[in-house]
Amino acid sequence: MIATDPAVLVEARDLHKRFRSFHAVNGVSFRCYAGEVFGLLGPNGAGKTTTIRMLTTILRPTAGGARVAGHDVVGDPGGVRRAIGVLPENSGVYGRLTAREAVRYAGQLYGVAPQELEGRVEAILEALEMTPHMDRMTDTFSKGMKQKVNIARALVHDPPVVFLDEPTSGLDVISARAVRDFVQRFKQEGRCVIMSTHVMEEAERLCDRVAIIAGGKVQAEGRLEDLKAAAGLGLEEIFVQLVEDTVR
Amino acid sequence: MISRGLSRVRERGRASEPVRPPLWSHVRAVYMKEMLEALRDRRTLLVMILLPALVMPLATLGIPYLEQRQQHQLKTTIPTVAIVGQAEGLIHLAHTSNLIRPVRAADPVQALRERQVLAVVRIPSKMEQIIARDGQVHVGILYDTSDSESTAARDKVVDLISRYSQQVVARRLVARHLNPTDLLPVVLDERNMATQRQLSGMLLAGLLPFFIAMWAVVGGMSVAVDLAAGEKERGTLESLLVAPPSREAIVLGKFLAVLTASMGAVIIVIVAMMFSLRWGYPYLVHGATKLDVSLPLAAAAVLLGVAMLFSALVSAIQLALSVYARTPREAQQYVTPLYFVIVLPALAIQFISQWQSAAWVYLIPVLNTFFVFRELLLGTVNWGHLLLTALSCIFYASLVLGMAVALFSRESVILRT
Repeated sequence: MIATDPAVLVEARDLHKRFRSFHAVNGVSFRCYAGEVFGLLGPNGAGKTTTIRMLTTILRPTAGGARVAGHDVVGDPGGVRRAIGVLPENSGVYGRLTAREAVRYAGQLYGVAPQELEGRVEAILEALEMTPHMDRMTDTFSKGMKQKVNIARALVHDPPVVFLDEPTSGLDVISARAVRDFVQRFKQEGRCVIMSTHVMEEAERLCDRVAIIAGGKVQAEGRLEDLKAAAGLGLEEIFVQLVEDTVR
Repeated sequence: MISRGLSRVRERGRASEPVRPPLWSHVRAVYMKEMLEALRDRRTLLVMILLPALVMPLATLGIPYLEQRQQHQLKTTIPTVAIVGQAEGLIHLAHTSNLIRPVRAADPVQALRERQVLAVVRIPSKMEQIIARDGQVHVGILYDTSDSESTAARDKVVDLISRYSQQVVARRLVARHLNPTDLLPVVLDERNMATQRQLSGMLLAGLLPFFIAMWAVVGGMSVAVDLAAGEKERGTLESLLVAPPSREAIVLGKFLAVLTASMGAVIIVIVAMMFSLRWGYPYLVHGATKLDVSLPLAAAAVLLGVAMLFSALVSAIQLALSVYARTPREAQQYVTPLYFVIVLPALAIQFISQWQSAAWVYLIPVLNTFFVFRELLLGTVNWGHLLLTALSCIFYASLVLGMAVALFSRESVILRT
């Protein structure tokens, strides 16, 4: 079924991904709407990154399909790419570029009009409180600052859909908090944010809805309050229970 | 603060939708970024500019200088030769002609092995009496071809014996009232017609193709390794691949950056070599007049064009290998053998010059370039050969670039880390 509701920005339909004999994703479906933060929650190796890679056109699904901002990920990957901003897992920086140059490069790749580009680059870096460091080489940056540069790179073209793969992993408390604040802003601006995390606390604080993924399958999906109410447990307990069931 | 900045982003974003740029603006964006990074990398500058500028004068002047010094030494030094047996006339001629320094040795063969003498001459007993009776004698010479000084000593002994023979012949003829010149009805007068331009062409043809090829590989190597395998290692590749530019645009932009680095080094090599030959050669190399190494402008342009096609092929291969590799280290290991593949034909070419008129040679990558370089530097331009070489270089480079694009589209290649 193809989503006709314009508020549905991401729809995954029974996504499968098999690497030779290994089934990384084994039937994942969900929908995400404008103005919400959707969490993909699961232990390491659950299939979160593979799911995000299929939705961002890096990997081709073995079976099933997905639409992002109205474009089919297999039939129209170009359309998908123009509509999304992506922060891949463990992404690095171009060390010999300044923050400004790195974000400008992303803007050029995303086809931001040249006359607008400089203003956008400065505005997004300002929004991330990076103005004083704008013209420094990124290899001198702390991990948190590098992550901010990558967030700016993912957003410089103002995409309606944003994918964040473990956006706070490896960051210190202050940096992680800055990233979380920023995610809240995306939501307020009406973007659809899909983020993966294995940190329960983060999911509870940020996500409107979550899909708990383990063994390549969605084990539970819904609003956090509903999941908690149904199980009568905290998110972490639900998570542990679901994951342990899969492992067994 | 955050919301203010973001709202500005939003306003600008809504003011006009991002335009969809054509392929070339993506190629240009990738190319400019790669060049900016490459030029800020000290390794690139070192390998591309500094190294050829330093090594080329050494290579172009040092090798001929050392060779000439050795030749000069062999010519001027008088080798010590052990004489076994009696031959007063021969020894006298050796002293007066200064060709060899004759000595006596207790164990001449051992002396030759220990390099106390450079050759041993065995005179048969009663040689001078036999010659006086118009007989013929056999003189033996022992020497060692593995030692260039010994070989030079042998040549001098041959010269000495020949002069001695001529003296004997002259005496015998005079005794029969004959004129020695009657035995030489034809005398050869030699004159070398090669112009300065052709001589320097020989010199250039021997050195330049090898160095162009070498630096076409070395110049682009660090850039090639960095901009594909390096992106994998740093974790920036995925961000690039989820962006709108097509794989073709990304590969083309990166390819042009590698090509620029490679050609940069090649141009510096050519300039450094021309300069050192023109200004350094007459000072260093004894007896050389100022060499006319200025290529005609048209030939130089064609030479650069061929060098560029060759660089394009090399750059494409390096890029494809770098895309395939997991890490820069691995990429470096894949690229290094390429260096040998290219340097070997450069060394072999002087032994297979008889093939240079065969058309098929100009379809073989690498070899075709060397043959064309040789022709150009020796002053001939064969447009048929040039065309075949250009077409085959373009064909192979496109083929390899196509493979790089295909590799960039393969999940197993881009995500293997």
